[in-house]
Amino acid sequence: MASQPNACTNEDCSFAIDSKCVEGYPLEECPHLTRIAVEDIKLDEEMEVAPTEMKVVALDLGEALSRAEASSMQARRVSRVVGIIGPNDAGKTSLLASVYDLLQEGPLAGVGFAGSSTLIGFEKVCHDARVTSRRNAPYTERTTQGVDATFFHLDLRPNDGEIVSLFIGDRSGEDYLAASDDLSSAAEFFELRRADVVTLLVNGEHLASSENRHEAKATTPQIVDALVEARSFRKGCRVAIVLTKHDAVLASPHEERVQRDFDEIVDSIIATHGVHLGEIDRFVVAASPKNATKVKRGDGVDRLLHFWLHDTPTPAPVPRAFPDSARMIDLLDSRNGASA
Amino acid sequence: MSTIEPEIAIIGLPESGKTTLLAALWHMVREPGSVTSLKFDGLSQGNYEHINGLAKRWRAGKKQQRTQTSGAKVVTMRLKNAEGREISVSFPDMPGEDFAGMWENRELDESVSLTLLAPAIVLVVNGDTIKFPAWIVERMQLAQAAGIEPDGVDVANWSADLAPTQVQVVALLQFLMSGSLGVGARRLAVLISAWDEVEGEGMEPEEVLSVKLPLLDQYLRNGRDPWAWKVWGLSAQGGVYEDQDKDERIAATEALREIERPSDRIRLVDGKAVSSDVTLPLDWLIG
Repeated sequence: MASQPNACTNEDCSFAIDSKCVEGYPLEECPHLTRIAVEDIKLDEEMEVAPTEMKVVALDLGEALSRAEASSMQARRVSRVVGIIGPNDAGKTSLLASVYDLLQEGPLAGVGFAGSSTLIGFEKVCHDARVTSRRNAPYTERTTQGVDATFFHLDLRPNDGEIVSLFIGDRSGEDYLAASDDLSSAAEFFELRRADVVTLLVNGEHLASSENRHEAKATTPQIVDALVEARSFRKGCRVAIVLTKHDAVLASPHEERVQRDFDEIVDSIIATHGVHLGEIDRFVVAASPKNATKVKRGDGVDRLLHFWLHDTPTPAPVPRAFPDSARMIDLLDSRNGASA
Repeated sequence: MSTIEPEIAIIGLPESGKTTLLAALWHMVREPGSVTSLKFDGLSQGNYEHINGLAKRWRAGKKQQRTQTSGAKVVTMRLKNAEGREISVSFPDMPGEDFAGMWENRELDESVSLTLLAPAIVLVVNGDTIKFPAWIVERMQLAQAAGIEPDGVDVANWSADLAPTQVQVVALLQFLMSGSLGVGARRLAVLISAWDEVEGEGMEPEEVLSVKLPLLDQYLRNGRDPWAWKVWGLSAQGGVYEDQDKDERIAATEALREIERPSDRIRLVDGKAVSSDVTLPLDWLIG
C-alpha cells in the first residue's frame, strides 16, 4: 500500500499544517507532494548501499585443447586427427603454426578456413615468427617436455566440399624420443592411437650436417620401430614422412645427399612397416625458413595439408596396447575407433 | 499498423567507427528532405541526450569522443520502412574496449552479454587501421635488399592485443555463435568504415574483405556458423573530422562543412553502387 504524502516541496504550501494543496490539486495529482520528509532522508554516510556485484560471463579460452575437449568436439562433424612425431627441433610447432599462418593470407591450395577453437593457442605459437615479436629471425619455442599432448583445432573446407575438423596433436619431441628407450612410455601417446594420419618429421638441417646426419638417419626409423612395437599406431594408419627445414638443405652443399638419405629413411620404414601401416607418402617442407631467398615461407605445407585431409577408409582401431587402463577416455578411444 | 521491435547490436574493435555510424544515422533520418530507405517515425519516451550529442558533433565535423569504457548506452530509434511498417530499433552503443576485452581477457559483463543476443548484428571494421600479420623472414628479405641492417631492439613477448585485426574479429563472431551467446542463425552487416581512405585502391567492398581481411572472408564464406551476411563500404563522415580536444582546424573538414546537406557527406558503397543512405544496411538486416 502506498504511504500517505507527508510533505510538500512548494515553499508557499501549508500542506504539512492543514493537509491542503495551495494550488488546489487533488493529493494524488500534486507534483510537489512527497511521501518522505526532508529529515527522513539519511545522509550519505547513513545510507546502506547494497554492494553491486558485477556478474561476468566467462568465454572460451581459445587455448590448445585437452584430450577431453578435443574428443567432445570431434563428435560435431567429420574430423581428422593428425599426430606429429619428431625429435627435438625437427619443426613440429613451426609446421602446425605455418598451416594457420598461411591461412591468414587466404585459402591454402583450395582449402579454406571455416573456424577455430584454438585461436589464442595458434597466435601464441605464431608470434615469434611475426614482425610483432621484434625478432630479427623466426624463432619457435619448444613444447614443454613431460606434459600431456594438446590439440590445435581448425575447421577447414577443402575445395567447396564438406567442412572437416582438423585436430593436430602437439607433444614434446623428447617424449617421443623416450619411447625408443622405454616402450612403456608410449602408453601415454593417446594422440597417436587416435590419429588418422601420423606425420613423422625428419630434420633436414640435421641431415645436411655431417655431425648430426648419421644420428638422424639412425633414430628416425628407431622411433617408428618403437611406436609400432608399442602399438601406438592404428593398423592401416596413413603416414606422412616429412623432410623439414628445406631452406637449410638448399643452403647447404649437400642437397642431393640429403635427398638420398631421406629417401633411404622412407624406403626402410616402408620395407619394415608397410604391411602394418596404410598409405605412406613423402613430403618436403620449409614451414618457417630463416631465409626465404631460395624457398618461400610455408613451401610444401599445402600438399601435406591435402594429405592430412584426404578421405580414406577408416583404419581399424588398434587392439589396446595397455588394456588395463582405467581411464574412461582410453576405453572410449578403443570402442569408437575412428572417432576416438 | 503492426510494429516490430528488432534489436541491432553494433560491434567492433576500439575506434572502428561504431559511434560515428550511430551519429550519422540519427542525423540522416531526422534531416528534412533526406531520402532514406528507413524513415524517422517520431520520438518516444526516453532520453535522447546521448544520441543528440553524437549527431551534434557529427554535424560540426568533430570527432566523436571515445564511448565510455564500460557498459552500454542503449539508443532507440522509431523508424518506418517503405511499406509504412513501424520499426523500433534499439542499438546498444558499446565501447570497443568491451569487444577487445572479449578477445584479450576472455570475459564480458553479463549486462553487455544480454545486448549481444540481438538477432541482427552490424560489424564495423575500420578499413584504414587493419592490422595485417607480417612475417620476419619476408621483412628481413626486404631489409637486406634495401641494404638495411636489422637493429637490435628488445624482443616483444606475446600478448593478445598483438593479434591481427581479422583474427580478433573472427573470434568475436565465433563468440556470438557459441556458448551462452549462441542464439542460432543471425544476420550480419559488415561495414568497412573509413571508406574514403580505402576507396583509392579501386576495390569494391567484397574485394577489400577478401584482400585485407582474408581470414574473416574465408570464415564467412565457408559458412560453418549460420551467418546471413553482406558487406558494404561506409564513409560515415565523408572525410577527416577535427579533434575538438586538440583544437584542430582542418581545411578538408571545412570543405565537408560547406556541403549544403550534411547527409551528403555520407558514402555507402554496395558493390559498384554508391549512395548516401546509411539506413540501407539496417533495412537489409531487418529483412
